[in-house]
Amino acid sequence: MAVRHQTKSISREQLKWRVFSIFLLTVFCLLLVFPIYANKGIDWVNKKANVGLPNFPASGFNLGLDLQGGAHLIYQANVESIPDSDRTASVEGVRDVIERRVRGGLGVSEPLVQTTKVNNDYRIIVELPGITDVNTAIKMIGETPILEFKEEDDKPLRPLTAEETKEMNDFNAKAQTKAQAALLAINGGMEFAAGVAEYSEEERSKANAGVLGLIDDSIFPEFYKWASDHADGEVSKELIKSFDGLNIIKRISVQDTEQQSASGTKKIYQIARIFIKVKQPIDIVPPAEQWKTTGLSGKQLKKTLVTQDSRTGQVQVSLQFGDEGTQMFADITKRSVGKPIAIFLDGSPISVPVVNEPILNGSAVISGSFSLQDAKLLSQRLNSGALPVPVDLISQQKVGATLGADSLAKSFKAGLAGLIAVIIFMILYYRLPGILAGVALVIYASVALAIFKLIGVTLTLSGIAGFILSIGVAVDANILVFERLKEELKSGKTLRSGMEEAFVRAWPSIRDSNVSALISCACLIWFGTGFVKGFAVTLAIGVLVSMFTAIIVTRTIMRLVLPWFKENGNWAFLGHQKKSVESQAK
Amino acid sequence: MINIPFIKYTKVWIVISALTVITCIILFVTLGLKLGIDFTGGSLMELTFSKNVPNIEQMQKVLGDLHQKNAVVQKLGDNGYIIRTEFLNEDQHQFILSNLRAEFESSDNQIHEENFQTIGSAISTQLRERAIWAIVLVNLGIIIYVAYAFRGVSRPVASWKYGFLVIVALIHDIMLVVGIFALLGHFKGVEVDIGFVVALLTVLGYSVTDTIVVYDRIRENLTHHSAQNFAEMVNMGLNQTLMRSLNTTFITLLPLFALYFLGGSTVHNFALALIIGIASGAYSSVFIASPLLVLAQNWHFGKKA
Repeated sequence: MAVRHQTKSISREQLKWRVFSIFLLTVFCLLLVFPIYANKGIDWVNKKANVGLPNFPASGFNLGLDLQGGAHLIYQANVESIPDSDRTASVEGVRDVIERRVRGGLGVSEPLVQTTKVNNDYRIIVELPGITDVNTAIKMIGETPILEFKEEDDKPLRPLTAEETKEMNDFNAKAQTKAQAALLAINGGMEFAAGVAEYSEEERSKANAGVLGLIDDSIFPEFYKWASDHADGEVSKELIKSFDGLNIIKRISVQDTEQQSASGTKKIYQIARIFIKVKQPIDIVPPAEQWKTTGLSGKQLKKTLVTQDSRTGQVQVSLQFGDEGTQMFADITKRSVGKPIAIFLDGSPISVPVVNEPILNGSAVISGSFSLQDAKLLSQRLNSGALPVPVDLISQQKVGATLGADSLAKSFKAGLAGLIAVIIFMILYYRLPGILAGVALVIYASVALAIFKLIGVTLTLSGIAGFILSIGVAVDANILVFERLKEELKSGKTLRSGMEEAFVRAWPSIRDSNVSALISCACLIWFGTGFVKGFAVTLAIGVLVSMFTAIIVTRTIMRLVLPWFKENGNWAFLGHQKKSVESQAK
Repeated sequence: MINIPFIKYTKVWIVISALTVITCIILFVTLGLKLGIDFTGGSLMELTFSKNVPNIEQMQKVLGDLHQKNAVVQKLGDNGYIIRTEFLNEDQHQFILSNLRAEFESSDNQIHEENFQTIGSAISTQLRERAIWAIVLVNLGIIIYVAYAFRGVSRPVASWKYGFLVIVALIHDIMLVVGIFALLGHFKGVEVDIGFVVALLTVLGYSVTDTIVVYDRIRENLTHHSAQNFAEMVNMGLNQTLMRSLNTTFITLLPLFALYFLGGSTVHNFALALIIGIASGAYSSVFIASPLLVLAQNWHFGKKA
């Protein structure tokens, strides 16, 4: 057996080296666990000797969500509608989108977003350490930012009642009379500008001698038709109906556009009008919604950017549509020249610009009153896109930062109290070997903590509990050895041979009990959820380290220390026999 | 040298232990364990109030008005409550929270939500299944290991019997913890969660460890003093390992007591389950596993005769 081989003949010199290397290891581990002191020292040396020694990483332990506060969310992906072969890929897609959202949108620096498959369920686990506003986080993760472009609705909510119809007809009859009067006056030689001032009911154009601006055939096809048959300066001799009322119009000028139509270059006309309002059903009964959906949404976006308006310096979000979106946006803006379109984000309008001219190149800006922060956030959210698969939040665990800090302090205190109590008991009961076991225990704790740090074990409350429990495991091996030593001393063995014998004899028990603990740990790690894993990982590391410290470290120190005492030991060793000292002494 | 005649009173120990196990099984079957939201699904909300703490009736009234009739409100420390409800989605959660705020919050009385958990049925089902599998796997692993560790010993008791008796002792320890938690659940409303399962699985490991140490010693004695009476040898082994068992158990319990008293409410029941199980593990290895070993040997020879 391995242990027995090592018992033979180790020179004093070798022993000292071993003790020294154990000492070095301990110091190194302690420095790793408490880097502040180490780095102070290193800085001091660097300053004095001017050598560029590297510092120890100053990072703390990886704390779990239950100790630093944060949220643990589990989403279930609804993959029914997706063919089996694509499911994994689309859930990975969800993972990516969620990760972009939490990193960019929430600014969580170390989120953990991972997918798991349980039976046939695909799940996404999201861990957000340190987050306080979980509600916002959940919103941001679960909800697709829905960007929609809407135009004004022109369908009334319900058919008009008889009374309302009469009211509308009366109004329109009056409008007709007024329009006829205006037409008579113009035909009778009244100046067009004077007619505008006298009769027109459109404030915007009235202020400008009735000039509407350049028109094409999209909004005022009737005007366009008339203008194309008449010359500059002509005024219509009859009333022309438009979608909003009755008009007397005047063609002011004509321009060529770049667009080609069947009959050569398409023209646009500068038109002025005298406008008499005619009521539509919609003017009496407002539409069900002010805005109606156009079908254009964030889905058709290619990318977004945060930009600044070159004139006002206002922060805005620039949108670039893809091919389909460009076409749709062109159609909408053609329909809506002179009218507002609304840009909705998550159901509420964030920007309602008025369309001045059709936009054909598929680019637009949203210029709400954004702060730079908001604009960036919106842009990121729009860029990260929609979730490829809808998700449901099926589990949520949130721990406040105060509770986490409280748990950390309490469990730290409990661990320390436990460690001290164990050392005191060991010393009181086993005397000198108890002291050595105490030393080994401190070495054990520092090595275990250093390993937690080095391999990045996430310390959770259960993990600390596992570590605290492993203190007992670590000492158990010592107890097994010391009880054996006690027996060996009682049976009259010398201190040194008794000690070597005790280690050899106790080994099978130590091995067996540790292996069964490790079997439990392995199953628990497989079991897999956070609480369980933290516990099992620290306990397993604790068991492994304790095998090293309780056997190798304690034995090495004992080999060094025991020769300082009489062959048969003295009161400092439990099981020491006073009588046998005399009888065995030669 | 200590020499307590444990084996002499074998029948007494077996009767006491059998009664304990039967009682615990009855408790478990009749009262059952009070399953926590880990296994049933549901929500748990921990609220603290910075100044004025409403009384339970006030809390229940608000929750009742919100159609959370099944909500269970429990006092938490001096300034807080734990509210258990069925599974809440985030909107329902915020709705309840904002209503409680509207009712009880004022400029100097803030409500803090320290902890919130909500677990859907998919997750709780998964946890339940996994817990059962973990228990089965740990047991299997340990039986196989014990059989392996004692493979060389077949005289006078076959090696598989050691393994079997280790499991008997283990069932005793587990049932004791389960029985006590059934009682606690019934009278104190203590719930059984994932932490409890972890504690059980850890107790499994410890119970086996204790028994193995005793058996190891008996095995060693068997190879050295083959002439002696088997019962005496078992008794000798027990006495030799007694101090180790006591000290190890005590040493393991020390930090656990620290955890129980100082570790805060979250690990309270976890530590309690471990304390009961580990203490029981030490007991069962001395008073159950070893006497049974002698009984097993007696039957063996009885059959032969």
